[in-house]
Amino acid sequence: MFDASVMPERLASFLTRHDGAREATVVAYERMVGGYSRLMAWAEVHWSDGTHERVVLRGDPPPGQSMMETDRDLEWALLTALSAVDELAMPAARAYDATGEHLGTKCIVLDHVEGDSLQAVLNRVDPAHGYTDHARELVDTMARVHSIDLAPLHGVIEVPDDWDAYLGRLIDRFRQAEHGHVEANPFLLYVAAWLDAHRPPPLPLRLVHSDFQPANIMIAPTHDGGHEHQVIDWELAHVGDPREDLGYYNVYSSASGPNLFAADPEGFLARYRERTGFSEEAVNLDTMAYFSSLAAITVYAQVLGGAGAMAEGRNSGLMTTYTLNALTVGHNNFLAGCTPPPGGAA
Amino acid sequence: MLSRPTTEQIILDCRHELLTTIDAAVDDPTVKVAIQMMENVLRNCAARAAHEIAWMRDETAAMVAFATDVAAAHPASTAVDAALAAYEAGRSESLHLDDVCATYDLAGRAMGAALEVVMAAGDDARHLTGRAILEERLAHENEIMGEWAFVGRA
Repeated sequence: MFDASVMPERLASFLTRHDGAREATVVAYERMVGGYSRLMAWAEVHWSDGTHERVVLRGDPPPGQSMMETDRDLEWALLTALSAVDELAMPAARAYDATGEHLGTKCIVLDHVEGDSLQAVLNRVDPAHGYTDHARELVDTMARVHSIDLAPLHGVIEVPDDWDAYLGRLIDRFRQAEHGHVEANPFLLYVAAWLDAHRPPPLPLRLVHSDFQPANIMIAPTHDGGHEHQVIDWELAHVGDPREDLGYYNVYSSASGPNLFAADPEGFLARYRERTGFSEEAVNLDTMAYFSSLAAITVYAQVLGGAGAMAEGRNSGLMTTYTLNALTVGHNNFLAGCTPPPGGAA
Repeated sequence: MLSRPTTEQIILDCRHELLTTIDAAVDDPTVKVAIQMMENVLRNCAARAAHEIAWMRDETAAMVAFATDVAAAHPASTAVDAALAAYEAGRSESLHLDDVCATYDLAGRAMGAALEVVMAAGDDARHLTGRAILEERLAHENEIMGEWAFVGRA
């Protein structure tokens, strides 16, 4: 994937070998814009039986040039397991070059979704008209992710069984990120102490996407002329507290709007509770603020790790330097979510 | 050395050239996104070049004063004592950037240890003082960041 000029031939050979019955010809191949953590490309494939289709490639960047390190083997296993879940619409995971022998890097081949991302759609909406329908659909999609039976995921990803211990480990990731970084970061120790002291009521542990935001939701047409949300980019998915996705969505969309939660916070949460069956004691504005601080740690720790690797000369690349500002966005959200004691600013 | 134009001015001039000359000559959308990111990084670097040593020195003084106060108010806070001792042993008055960063790091470790002590003790007054220092640090980060959003994500 590092050399686009050789990719049509290599991809065609890989797909032909994987299909086993038909021969593939790649007639177009182009890098895609917008993938931050992985290399992305699409390819137009003509098959020897006369059919043709477009596929998407999702591969690891060159060593030392990734803004975050995640495991393609794990992602492929998860995508394969999730493909069997009827409640969840997502592009089919088609093939995997687990060694990089064929495509130049570890690479997953997915179905291409004929449609825009929700982010692209939202960018075209006139704010004066509001985002009500989009907010409802976004909540429903998130609720579907959080309603998936975890049974197919056992043996694929870790499935913790104790909420309190899980939350403690999640909070501790702030301390681990601080201790593992190349310089002191007092924000992280402050937030960890605050989150420990203000634990919310528990919820059942569920599948958490961890990067739940509109650029990772594709609007796909359906056979009945309607559309459906297809969720992509599962590299950070794990089993955890479902409010992590609520909080992360709020954090992300505050930095890259529009923020559909902020438009009607109570309505947004009420619909989420209705769709999931979770209580108002567990899902409310206070717990939303709590998880807006807590949930960002998954992506934050990855970005911080990239920054530390660059400081130590183990990483380079524009994406690492560009996303340093995401750490500042994180610090803003940490302080906003961790309210001061009485006597401080509101 | 030549101090004028300043590093900030030179970097901002490069940024201008990037946006007016190079971007105009590029059609590849992935390269255009990279140019937008580089524009942002250059702007960040210009702000850092102009202020980072002064900001780190100011924050260092505030963090060490805070940790010293916490150590006095909570005599059992051995982690703060140790961090302050490490700061005293390792601090430098040098204004070379690497030395300022190293001193800032030591002060930050004392600050972090002190924050953990006041939070565990429920010392709200010092909690607020420590938080104010974090807010000052964040104000500097925000000035470096400027206007920022995820470019190219749609």
